[in-house]
Amino acid sequence: MDLNRPALPLQNKATNRKALAATAIAAALLLSACGGGASPQGAEQAAAADPASGANASGAVNICGVKDASGIYKGTAEAFTKANGKVTAKYTEIGATTDEARTQIVQRLEGKSTECDLFLTDVIWTSEFASQGWLLDQTKLVEANKDRLIPSTVETTKYQDKYWASPFFTNAGLIYYQKDKVAKPESWQQLYAEAAKAPGNGYVYQGKQYEGLTVNFLEMLYSAGGEVLNDQGDVKIDSKETRDVLNFMSDGLKNGSADRAVLTYNEDPARLAYESGDFGYQRNWPHVYRLLNATPLASSFGVAPLPAWEGGKASGVLGGWNLAISAHSTNQAGAVAFIDFATTPDWQKHVAMDYSQAPVNEAAYSDPAVLQKMPFATELLASVKGAKPRPISPVYPQISQAIYKNVYAVLSGTTSTEDAVKKMAEEITTAKASF
Amino acid sequence: MAIKTLLPGRSPRGAPNRGAPTRTAKTTSGRDRAERKLAFRMTAPSLVIMALVAAVPIGYAIWLSLNQYSVRTAGLSRFVGLENYINALASHEWWTAFGQTFLFAGLSVSLELILGTAMALLLNLAFKGRAVLRTVVLLPYAIITVVSAITWQTMFQPKMGLVTNVLSTLGLPGGDVVWLGEHGYAMAVIVMADVWKTTPFAALIILAGLQVISAETYEAAELDGASKWQTFVNITLPLLRPAIVLAAIFRTMDALRVFDLPFVLTRGANGTESMSMLAYTQLRENRLVGEGSALSILTFLTVMVVSVIYVRFAGGNIRDVAKEEQ
Repeated sequence: MDLNRPALPLQNKATNRKALAATAIAAALLLSACGGGASPQGAEQAAAADPASGANASGAVNICGVKDASGIYKGTAEAFTKANGKVTAKYTEIGATTDEARTQIVQRLEGKSTECDLFLTDVIWTSEFASQGWLLDQTKLVEANKDRLIPSTVETTKYQDKYWASPFFTNAGLIYYQKDKVAKPESWQQLYAEAAKAPGNGYVYQGKQYEGLTVNFLEMLYSAGGEVLNDQGDVKIDSKETRDVLNFMSDGLKNGSADRAVLTYNEDPARLAYESGDFGYQRNWPHVYRLLNATPLASSFGVAPLPAWEGGKASGVLGGWNLAISAHSTNQAGAVAFIDFATTPDWQKHVAMDYSQAPVNEAAYSDPAVLQKMPFATELLASVKGAKPRPISPVYPQISQAIYKNVYAVLSGTTSTEDAVKKMAEEITTAKASF
Repeated sequence: MAIKTLLPGRSPRGAPNRGAPTRTAKTTSGRDRAERKLAFRMTAPSLVIMALVAAVPIGYAIWLSLNQYSVRTAGLSRFVGLENYINALASHEWWTAFGQTFLFAGLSVSLELILGTAMALLLNLAFKGRAVLRTVVLLPYAIITVVSAITWQTMFQPKMGLVTNVLSTLGLPGGDVVWLGEHGYAMAVIVMADVWKTTPFAALIILAGLQVISAETYEAAELDGASKWQTFVNITLPLLRPAIVLAAIFRTMDALRVFDLPFVLTRGANGTESMSMLAYTQLRENRLVGEGSALSILTFLTVMVVSVIYVRFAGGNIRDVAKEEQ
């Protein structure tokens, strides 16, 4: 642009005001016209996936999901194509982040797109997608494969007594600790006490206002014996346990057990802070193991399952990814064949060895080849087996918001525990009513 | 409008008359009418396209906002009239977001105008390397907001961030502040990030305004013995007003719709949730299309009302200035 020339007709006397008004209003109209969202489609009765159909499958299967950072999705698709012979599988990346992938998947499902046969779904999406009639009922398939899957991972695919996906790989929180500074944590209370002892012993976790904070909070709440919804789906968060955990977490920030900076941390900043060597404990996911091994801390860190609440038992929150068959898939048999392959004990070993993800098959964790690549497999299995799903509800996103916003308000000191607990219960009740 | 009147006339001073055409022939001949019809026919397609582009999505959004969609009913909606609006306006969240968005807009736009004017004045001076500098100052504006937001987030990271590191190395206060985790500070960082990014844009518009002020005006002022300050206050600033108002309108409209900066930097924590973020959460994350659309429309109306106020009042100034100039 030539800056020496007036770029705008500022001195156009008579039309000036009109032009200005027109520009301003036109711009306002155009820029703000972002209101229309996608319109949901009617829920319909979906058919069921039959395990037997996989054997006679042929054709192509398209699997869609988030950007394949570790190569596991493309790798599995290739291995399947090679092993099967009759069916070819390919992986299509439809989003750079989890959020973006969800938006893309929802759009395809609402629009009854036949582009994707299988979707990689985050464990927390199951009930929402299933409630919309978007997924093929996998109950038969899961029942047939159940004996080779870890029960807690199967629970994440359940909605209204049916299974709507098959677990592909799982995930559970772990505690990384500096063996030379602090003791292996047995209870949260012990971890926090140890962390407060010296400035370099501190604890870092994910305390930013987002889904990760919900997970960090629920891990403690579940181990303290608290819950968000009971088996009947009633709101049970207004409890002594919730108050205890909130007070415990906020005291931890005040007395220096946990660094105040966690209020801005999600997974990566927490990991980077820990890698600086200034902390004793870190809560993070298994993938951090490989990254920590490439730092000067490689020889001094240990891995532990999430600790128990004093006097209780340890119980984490399950993450991970499932394979859901689209109700509009044109090759359901091929999709079933792919799931069969992806969940075989043999391929689950590769999930751990080649891609450092947590298998959904229990035997994989004691395999010598896996243990060599993943020496913390025993701790990981303990975490996975002890973990519970996050609240199961089609309005999970709203429930999670109610949790992380109010927990954050307590941690940042803007709300009292009492007010936050009341608000949480109220907002979760409202969210449930919106379904 | 007759084609004839679109042709520039001649002003008494010989400069092209950019204002209202001199209407000598008031009689509308048959030819005039035919021309008018032709002109209308020629502009009609673009008018229709404009109307469709602007009106259809807005109309659709308004329709969506009058309905209630629940996750359970999926595609089925229920007409609820203004219920979504009433609920939104009765909610604490909306008013908090409303207030915070205005706070953000007020702070960032005023800083941008002050700094933008200063920057424009500087860039208007004749000096070596001016062209290069002009390009360089525009760089922040060329960076995608999300990317610059991530950069700012990194800079203000506790302990490892550039800013916190520099502050603590110099022994200045603030080295141990968790900038993005603290009420007040978080908003300050977001305002700074916005000012950093869009001041060049304001400067660009103001610079354009500055360059059309004729050198004669300044020469006359100099002859009259006006000081530099007097010249600035009595000549430059009033003549720059249209440009500054224009910059203010664009920037205010943008600031009131702010989304990416707070979304990346704080996810709306610490009192930084904007109106657009609220709408996004309902629309995208919660799939509550009716509620989300109502929030979008409310945001849109807010921006529109503010723009109209600007044009009504500040726009009047533009006309006055134009008159004075004549």
